[in-house]
Amino acid sequence: MSQTAVTPKRTDHIHHHFVDGEQQFDASKMGMWIFLATETLMFGGLFAAYIIYRAWYPELYLEASQELDAFWGTVNTVVLIGSSLTVAMAIRSAQLNQLKGIVYNLYITIGLALTFMVIKYFEYAHKIEKGIRPGQYYTYQGLEHEKANVFFSIYYMMTGLHGIHIIIGIGLMIWLLVKAKRKVFHSDYYTPIEVVGLYWHLVDIIWIFLFPLLYLID
Amino acid sequence: MSTHRISSAKFLWGIAGALLFLTFLTVAVTWFYIPEPWNVIVAILIATVKATLVGAFFMNLYWDSKFNLLVLLTAFAFLALLILITMTDTLYRVDPVPSF
Repeated sequence: MSQTAVTPKRTDHIHHHFVDGEQQFDASKMGMWIFLATETLMFGGLFAAYIIYRAWYPELYLEASQELDAFWGTVNTVVLIGSSLTVAMAIRSAQLNQLKGIVYNLYITIGLALTFMVIKYFEYAHKIEKGIRPGQYYTYQGLEHEKANVFFSIYYMMTGLHGIHIIIGIGLMIWLLVKAKRKVFHSDYYTPIEVVGLYWHLVDIIWIFLFPLLYLID
Repeated sequence: MSTHRISSAKFLWGIAGALLFLTFLTVAVTWFYIPEPWNVIVAILIATVKATLVGAFFMNLYWDSKFNLLVLLTAFAFLALLILITMTDTLYRVDPVPSF
Protein backbone atom coordinates (compact mmCIF):
# COMPACT_ATOMS: atom_id res chain seq x y z
CA MET A 1 0.00 0.00 0.00
CA SER A 2 2.87 2.38 -0.65
CA GLN A 3 1.41 4.03 -3.68
CA THR A 4 -0.43 7.28 -3.09
CA ALA A 5 -2.73 8.62 -5.73
CA VAL A 6 -2.19 12.34 -6.00
CA THR A 7 -5.48 13.92 -6.98
CA PRO A 8 -5.52 17.67 -7.49
CA LYS A 9 -7.52 19.55 -4.86
CA ARG A 10 -10.94 20.47 -6.23
CA THR A 11 -11.75 24.15 -6.09
CA ASP A 12 -15.02 24.39 -8.04
CA HIS A 13 -17.01 24.75 -4.81
CA ILE A 14 -15.12 27.84 -3.60
CA HIS A 15 -16.87 31.18 -3.98
CA HIS A 16 -14.74 34.00 -5.35
CA HIS A 17 -14.98 36.14 -2.20
CA PHE A 18 -13.13 33.55 -0.10
CA VAL A 19 -9.37 33.15 -0.02
CA ASP A 20 -9.62 29.37 -0.08
CA GLY A 21 -11.82 26.40 0.83
CA GLU A 22 -10.58 26.45 4.40
CA GLN A 23 -11.74 30.01 4.98
CA GLN A 24 -15.10 29.27 3.36
CA PHE A 25 -15.56 26.20 5.57
CA ASP A 26 -14.64 28.11 8.74
CA ALA A 27 -16.98 30.99 7.89
CA SER A 28 -19.92 28.62 7.35
CA LYS A 29 -19.20 26.78 10.53
CA MET A 30 -18.90 29.94 12.62
CA GLY A 31 -22.20 31.16 11.17
CA MET A 32 -23.82 27.88 12.20
CA TRP A 33 -22.43 28.18 15.73
CA ILE A 34 -23.88 31.68 16.06
CA PHE A 35 -27.25 30.31 14.90
CA LEU A 36 -26.94 27.49 17.47
CA ALA A 37 -26.32 30.15 20.16
CA THR A 38 -29.67 31.76 19.26
CA GLU A 39 -31.29 28.30 19.33
CA THR A 40 -29.86 27.72 22.82
CA LEU A 41 -31.42 31.00 23.95
CA MET A 42 -34.80 30.22 22.33
CA PHE A 43 -35.04 26.87 24.13
CA GLY A 44 -33.45 28.59 27.15
CA GLY A 45 -36.56 30.74 27.59
CA LEU A 46 -38.63 27.56 27.89
CA PHE A 47 -36.14 26.00 30.30
CA ALA A 48 -36.41 29.19 32.40
CA ALA A 49 -40.21 28.81 32.48
CA TYR A 50 -39.76 25.17 33.47
CA ILE A 51 -37.43 26.07 36.36
CA ILE A 52 -39.59 28.92 37.67
CA TYR A 53 -42.76 26.83 37.72
CA ARG A 54 -40.92 23.87 39.23
CA ALA A 55 -39.72 26.13 42.05
CA TRP A 56 -43.32 27.29 42.60
CA TYR A 57 -45.03 23.89 42.34
CA PRO A 58 -42.50 21.09 43.01
CA GLU A 59 -45.28 18.64 43.94
CA LEU A 60 -47.06 19.32 40.63
CA TYR A 61 -44.03 18.13 38.63
CA LEU A 62 -43.73 14.96 40.72
CA GLU A 63 -47.40 14.14 40.20
CA ALA A 64 -47.85 15.15 36.55
CA SER A 65 -44.65 13.49 35.33
CA GLN A 66 -46.22 10.12 36.22
CA GLU A 67 -48.45 10.58 33.15
CA LEU A 68 -45.36 10.47 30.90
CA ASP A 69 -44.12 7.05 29.86
CA ALA A 70 -40.44 6.84 30.84
CA PHE A 71 -40.03 3.71 28.70
CA TRP A 72 -40.85 5.48 25.44
CA GLY A 73 -38.84 8.49 26.57
CA THR A 74 -35.83 6.18 27.00
CA VAL A 75 -36.41 4.55 23.60
CA ASN A 76 -36.50 7.98 21.96
CA THR A 77 -33.29 8.99 23.74
CA VAL A 78 -31.55 5.89 22.36
CA VAL A 79 -32.99 6.62 18.88
CA LEU A 80 -31.62 10.19 18.91
CA ILE A 81 -28.18 9.12 20.17
CA GLY A 82 -28.10 6.57 17.34
CA SER A 83 -28.99 9.27 14.81
CA SER A 84 -26.22 11.52 16.16
CA LEU A 85 -23.79 8.66 15.61
CA THR A 86 -24.95 8.12 12.01
CA VAL A 87 -24.65 11.86 11.25
CA ALA A 88 -21.09 11.79 12.59
CA MET A 89 -20.46 8.70 10.42
CA ALA A 90 -21.89 10.51 7.37
CA ILE A 91 -19.40 13.34 7.91
CA ARG A 92 -16.60 10.77 8.31
CA SER A 93 -17.66 9.13 5.03
CA ALA A 94 -17.52 12.50 3.29
CA GLN A 95 -14.07 13.22 4.71
CA LEU A 96 -12.88 9.87 3.34
CA ASN A 97 -14.57 10.36 -0.06
CA GLN A 98 -16.85 7.36 0.57
CA LEU A 99 -19.88 8.64 -1.32
CA LYS A 100 -22.01 5.55 -0.66
CA GLY A 101 -21.28 5.83 3.05
CA ILE A 102 -22.75 9.35 3.08
CA VAL A 103 -25.96 8.14 1.44
CA TYR A 104 -26.37 5.06 3.69
CA ASN A 105 -25.72 7.01 6.88
CA LEU A 106 -28.16 9.75 5.84
CA TYR A 107 -30.84 7.11 5.12
CA ILE A 108 -30.37 5.60 8.59
CA THR A 109 -30.46 9.07 10.17
CA ILE A 110 -33.73 9.93 8.42
CA GLY A 111 -35.15 6.54 9.46
CA LEU A 112 -34.24 7.13 13.10
CA ALA A 113 -35.63 10.69 13.01
CA LEU A 114 -38.92 9.36 11.61
CA THR A 115 -38.97 6.67 14.34
CA PHE A 116 -38.61 9.43 16.93
CA MET A 117 -41.55 11.36 15.45
CA VAL A 118 -43.78 8.25 15.20
CA ILE A 119 -43.19 7.47 18.89
CA LYS A 120 -43.83 11.13 19.76
CA TYR A 121 -47.06 11.01 17.72
CA PHE A 122 -48.37 8.02 19.69
CA GLU A 123 -47.39 9.70 22.97
CA TYR A 124 -49.25 12.89 22.00
CA ALA A 125 -52.28 11.03 20.62
CA HIS A 126 -52.60 8.98 23.80
CA LYS A 127 -52.54 12.12 25.98
CA ILE A 128 -54.85 14.20 23.80
CA GLU A 129 -57.36 11.34 23.83
CA LYS A 130 -57.30 11.31 27.64
CA GLY A 131 -57.88 15.08 27.72
CA ILE A 132 -54.30 15.91 28.72
CA ARG A 133 -54.08 19.01 26.55
CA PRO A 134 -52.22 22.27 27.05
CA GLY A 135 -53.62 25.29 28.92
CA GLN A 136 -57.37 25.89 28.85
CA TYR A 137 -58.03 22.79 26.73
CA TYR A 138 -56.97 20.54 29.61
CA THR A 139 -59.91 18.29 30.61
CA TYR A 140 -58.23 15.28 32.27
CA GLN A 141 -59.61 14.42 35.73
CA GLY A 142 -56.91 11.96 36.84
CA LEU A 143 -54.59 14.48 38.51
CA GLU A 144 -55.40 16.21 41.81
CA HIS A 145 -53.28 19.30 41.30
CA GLU A 146 -55.23 22.37 40.18
CA LYS A 147 -52.28 23.58 38.09
CA ALA A 148 -51.84 20.27 36.23
CA ASN A 149 -52.51 22.07 32.94
CA VAL A 150 -49.46 24.31 33.54
CA PHE A 151 -47.10 21.34 33.57
CA PHE A 152 -48.54 20.05 30.31
CA SER A 153 -48.42 23.48 28.66
CA ILE A 154 -44.68 23.46 29.40
CA TYR A 155 -44.43 19.83 28.26
CA TYR A 156 -46.16 20.50 24.94
CA MET A 157 -44.21 23.71 24.28
CA MET A 158 -40.81 22.14 24.97
CA THR A 159 -41.33 18.80 23.23
CA GLY A 160 -43.35 20.50 20.46
CA LEU A 161 -40.63 23.01 19.61
CA HIS A 162 -38.12 20.16 19.78
CA GLY A 163 -40.32 18.06 17.47
CA ILE A 164 -40.51 20.93 14.96
CA HIS A 165 -36.70 20.95 14.99
CA ILE A 166 -36.65 17.21 14.26
CA ILE A 167 -39.05 17.70 11.32
CA ILE A 168 -36.90 20.55 9.94
CA GLY A 169 -33.87 18.29 10.47
CA ILE A 170 -35.51 15.53 8.40
CA GLY A 171 -36.07 18.07 5.60
CA LEU A 172 -32.41 19.11 5.75
CA MET A 173 -31.27 15.46 5.67
CA ILE A 174 -33.38 14.83 2.55
CA TRP A 175 -31.78 17.90 0.95
CA LEU A 176 -28.32 16.51 1.84
CA LEU A 177 -29.32 13.11 0.48
CA VAL A 178 -30.30 14.60 -2.90
CA LYS A 179 -26.98 16.48 -3.04
CA ALA A 180 -24.99 13.42 -1.96
CA LYS A 181 -26.64 11.31 -4.69
CA ARG A 182 -25.66 13.97 -7.24
CA LYS A 183 -22.09 13.49 -5.99
CA VAL A 184 -21.79 17.12 -4.90
CA PHE A 185 -19.78 16.24 -1.78
CA HIS A 186 -16.18 15.09 -1.61
CA SER A 187 -13.37 15.21 0.93
CA ASP A 188 -12.59 18.87 0.17
CA TYR A 189 -16.23 19.99 0.26
CA TYR A 190 -18.73 18.66 2.74
CA THR A 191 -19.69 21.92 4.53
CA PRO A 192 -23.49 21.36 4.30
CA ILE A 193 -23.19 17.93 5.98
CA GLU A 194 -20.94 19.41 8.65
CA VAL A 195 -23.28 22.30 9.56
CA VAL A 196 -26.49 20.23 9.39
CA GLY A 197 -24.64 17.74 11.60
CA LEU A 198 -23.95 20.50 14.14
CA TYR A 199 -27.65 21.41 14.09
CA TRP A 200 -28.67 17.79 14.54
CA HIS A 201 -26.30 17.28 17.48
CA LEU A 202 -27.74 20.38 19.20
CA VAL A 203 -31.27 18.99 18.79
CA ASP A 204 -29.93 15.79 20.38
CA ILE A 205 -28.38 17.75 23.29
CA ILE A 206 -31.70 19.54 23.94
CA TRP A 207 -33.46 16.17 24.15
CA ILE A 208 -30.73 14.90 26.51
CA PHE A 209 -31.89 17.62 28.95
CA LEU A 210 -35.63 17.33 28.22
CA PHE A 211 -35.70 13.60 28.88
CA PRO A 212 -34.71 13.54 32.60
CA LEU A 213 -36.41 16.88 33.31
CA LEU A 214 -39.82 15.78 31.99
CA TYR A 215 -39.93 11.99 32.10
CA LEU A 216 -37.72 10.99 35.02
CA ILE A 217 -39.04 13.00 37.96
CA ASP A 218 -39.52 10.57 40.80
CA MET B 1 -6.77 27.04 12.33
CA SER B 2 -9.79 24.96 11.53
CA THR B 3 -9.62 21.27 11.87
CA HIS B 4 -11.03 18.66 9.61
CA ARG B 5 -10.80 16.14 12.36
CA ILE B 6 -11.46 12.66 11.00
CA SER B 7 -12.49 10.50 13.93
CA SER B 8 -12.14 6.75 13.58
CA ALA B 9 -15.35 4.74 13.38
CA LYS B 10 -14.30 2.94 16.57
CA PHE B 11 -13.98 6.25 18.41
CA LEU B 12 -17.42 7.47 17.27
CA TRP B 13 -19.02 4.17 18.31
CA GLY B 14 -17.22 4.48 21.64
CA ILE B 15 -18.74 7.92 22.27
CA ALA B 16 -22.19 6.60 21.31
CA GLY B 17 -21.64 3.65 23.68
CA ALA B 18 -20.73 6.04 26.51
CA LEU B 19 -23.89 8.07 25.77
CA LEU B 20 -26.05 4.94 25.88
CA PHE B 21 -24.46 3.88 29.17
CA LEU B 22 -25.14 7.32 30.67
CA THR B 23 -28.74 7.11 29.42
CA PHE B 24 -29.07 3.80 31.25
CA LEU B 25 -27.48 5.41 34.34
CA THR B 26 -29.87 8.37 34.34
CA VAL B 27 -32.83 5.94 34.22
CA ALA B 28 -31.25 3.60 36.81
CA VAL B 29 -30.77 6.33 39.43
CA THR B 30 -34.55 6.89 39.46
CA TRP B 31 -34.98 3.30 40.76
CA PHE B 32 -33.40 4.40 44.04
CA TYR B 33 -34.76 6.99 46.42
CA ILE B 34 -32.62 10.12 46.29
CA PRO B 35 -34.00 13.01 48.37
CA GLU B 36 -34.80 16.42 46.87
CA PRO B 37 -32.96 18.32 45.50
CA TRP B 38 -30.21 15.77 44.90
CA ASN B 39 -32.28 13.75 42.42
CA VAL B 40 -32.52 16.82 40.16
CA ILE B 41 -28.83 17.62 40.62
CA VAL B 42 -27.79 14.06 39.70
CA ALA B 43 -30.07 14.09 36.62
CA ILE B 44 -28.70 17.46 35.44
CA LEU B 45 -25.13 16.37 36.14
CA ILE B 46 -25.47 13.22 33.99
CA ALA B 47 -27.20 15.22 31.23
CA THR B 48 -24.37 17.77 31.32
CA VAL B 49 -21.74 15.03 30.96
CA LYS B 50 -23.70 13.61 27.99
CA ALA B 51 -24.04 17.07 26.38
CA THR B 52 -20.31 17.65 26.89
CA LEU B 53 -19.50 14.35 25.15
CA VAL B 54 -21.72 15.25 22.18
CA GLY B 55 -20.33 18.80 22.01
CA ALA B 56 -16.68 17.85 22.37
CA PHE B 57 -16.48 14.74 20.17
CA PHE B 58 -19.50 14.68 17.83
CA MET B 59 -19.53 18.44 17.23
CA ASN B 60 -15.70 18.40 17.34
CA LEU B 61 -15.43 21.35 19.74
CA TYR B 62 -12.48 19.59 21.38
CA TRP B 63 -10.40 20.05 18.23
CA ASP B 64 -12.14 23.08 16.77
CA SER B 65 -11.30 26.77 16.86
CA LYS B 66 -11.88 27.96 20.43
CA PHE B 67 -14.01 30.81 19.07
CA ASN B 68 -16.90 28.43 18.34
CA LEU B 69 -16.75 27.13 21.91
CA LEU B 70 -16.77 30.73 23.13
CA VAL B 71 -19.94 31.42 21.11
CA LEU B 72 -21.71 28.48 22.76
CA LEU B 73 -20.47 29.30 26.26
CA THR B 74 -21.58 32.93 25.82
CA ALA B 75 -25.10 31.67 25.03
CA PHE B 76 -25.04 29.59 28.23
CA ALA B 77 -23.79 32.58 30.24
CA PHE B 78 -26.68 34.75 29.05
CA LEU B 79 -29.11 31.90 29.71
CA ALA B 80 -27.78 31.68 33.29
CA LEU B 81 -28.30 35.46 33.66
CA LEU B 82 -31.88 35.15 32.39
CA ILE B 83 -32.70 32.38 34.85
CA LEU B 84 -30.87 33.82 37.87
CA ILE B 85 -32.18 37.38 37.54
CA THR B 86 -35.75 36.15 36.96
CA MET B 87 -35.54 33.87 40.00
CA THR B 88 -34.44 36.70 42.30
CA ASP B 89 -37.98 37.94 41.66
CA THR B 90 -40.09 34.79 41.39
CA LEU B 91 -38.53 32.95 44.35
CA TYR B 92 -39.08 35.81 46.81
CA ARG B 93 -42.57 37.03 46.00
CA VAL B 94 -44.80 37.53 49.05
CA ASP B 95 -47.70 36.07 47.11
CA PRO B 96 -45.88 33.66 44.81
CA VAL B 97 -48.93 32.37 42.99
CA PRO B 98 -49.89 34.28 39.87
CA SER B 99 -53.28 33.84 38.25
CA PHE B 100 -51.86 31.33 35.80
